[in-house]
Amino acid sequence: MTRLRLILFILLSAAGVAASFAATAAAPDALPAVLVSRQLAESARLHVGDTVTFALDAEGKGGRQFRVAGTYEPTPDPMKFTARRIEARMHLPDLVDVTAAQPDADSADAVDGINVRLAHPDDARAFGAAVMARAPGIFARPTARTGDGSDPFAVLDRFHFAIAVVTVVGSTAFLLALMVMRAEERRETVGIVRLIGISQRSILLEVLVEGLLIAAGGAIFGVLFALATQGAVNRFFQWRYDTALVFVRVTTRIALESVALAVPLGIVAGLVGSWTLLRRDVVAMVRR
Amino acid sequence: MTNAAPLIEGRDLTRQFPMTAGAVTALNHASIRIEAAEYVAITGPSGCGKSTLLHLLGCVDQPTSGSLTFEGRDVARLNETERSRIRLTRIGFVFQRFFLLPMLTAWENVELPQAEAGVPRSERRNRTRELLEYVGLADRIDHRPSQLSGGEMQRVAIARALANRPALLLADEPTGELDEVTGDQIADLFDRVHADGTAIVVVTHNATVAARAGRRLAMKSGRIVEAGKQ
Repeated sequence: MTRLRLILFILLSAAGVAASFAATAAAPDALPAVLVSRQLAESARLHVGDTVTFALDAEGKGGRQFRVAGTYEPTPDPMKFTARRIEARMHLPDLVDVTAAQPDADSADAVDGINVRLAHPDDARAFGAAVMARAPGIFARPTARTGDGSDPFAVLDRFHFAIAVVTVVGSTAFLLALMVMRAEERRETVGIVRLIGISQRSILLEVLVEGLLIAAGGAIFGVLFALATQGAVNRFFQWRYDTALVFVRVTTRIALESVALAVPLGIVAGLVGSWTLLRRDVVAMVRR
Repeated sequence: MTNAAPLIEGRDLTRQFPMTAGAVTALNHASIRIEAAEYVAITGPSGCGKSTLLHLLGCVDQPTSGSLTFEGRDVARLNETERSRIRLTRIGFVFQRFFLLPMLTAWENVELPQAEAGVPRSERRNRTRELLEYVGLADRIDHRPSQLSGGEMQRVAIARALANRPALLLADEPTGELDEVTGDQIADLFDRVHADGTAIVVVTHNATVAARAGRRLAMKSGRIVEAGKQ
């Protein structure tokens, strides 16, 4: 496994697992290297070069010493963003050594999940399946999304899509009501221009251009506002949950989809609002 | 009456407005004939159908029954686009409440109908300047209606009405919101417009304005009951 340069994300924070960390002043270079998460380094005040002892026992019995070779930011995991990422990464043989000295058989369940990332990502799924087949109770999964719909986040995506549809439908109804009211405010103006002979076609064209500009301006403003606020939203939640997880990301595709949806909707709403006026009697429109 | 084709002619015009309590007859079998370059005043008490008749003559509204021809064309056969075109190019409107577009300047209000009619930009500029000078507002071209007095707004409205050189100017109580002196100035302006060859039909309660017309029609209960000539 080490030849494959497999790096395991060992979830030491899982229930039943205890790890003790003891920093010492000097550490022999011969000790195996370990990477500790940023959160663990901050929590235990660890620095590169420190010697730490990892054990499955809270008292540190049967533990093995490691040299802190560096820290890392744990791969953001939306399923665990509320958990403190007290984690370390070690080579698989070292993990085997640590768990081999396990005095308590029950605590072998301590490692219950393995996120798998391979040099050849295509092998990760088969590898995960093989691990799970041989070690029931351990959930091994590729870090890359599968894209076949079985991904739990595909369900979230569909949920978000449903929310988006409801929001768009609700917003459209609101927008239509707003535009009809706005058109009503311009009743006399439209009445005057129709009275002096401006054609319905010209009025609709004017409304079309106006609607296009307002809708495009509104959509661009919305995208810019989202871009400006996504940083603040991400920073707040990253601070709140001490994670590098990106909570909001306005992609080019999302921006284009928003504009593509907002502009026609704005134009249609404007035209519907104006059409309600153009169908009316001219004299009634200018009458007080 | 002459044997030449009239500018506009309405025969047996009736206009009813459906109401929940029953139809209201605003115009009852009224007939009218306006010759080119004629100046006609229509008087009568409120609610007698003067404005309704004016709306029919201006192709703004359509009669419930009767026929109306404008420059020989049967208005009933025209669609909304064609009627709009007639209002834009052949008829000018002046109203008691001026009906200027508040967001446009005096210049823009006068230029708008010309732009809609497809008048080239340079020609539009000349015509707009000429009209605003004609009504004595050459120094107020950039003012919006809210920055003008009532008399000035009415003069801008007259300039706008004349923008596309209409054959007929329809005025509904043009001095109704003006004081006597300003009203006289507007009436003087109408005299000039008429002298320049434009037919005018003015609906008014103002006896002084009516007295300037070449022909006066009195209305009562939706009918034309009296006709007088100076």
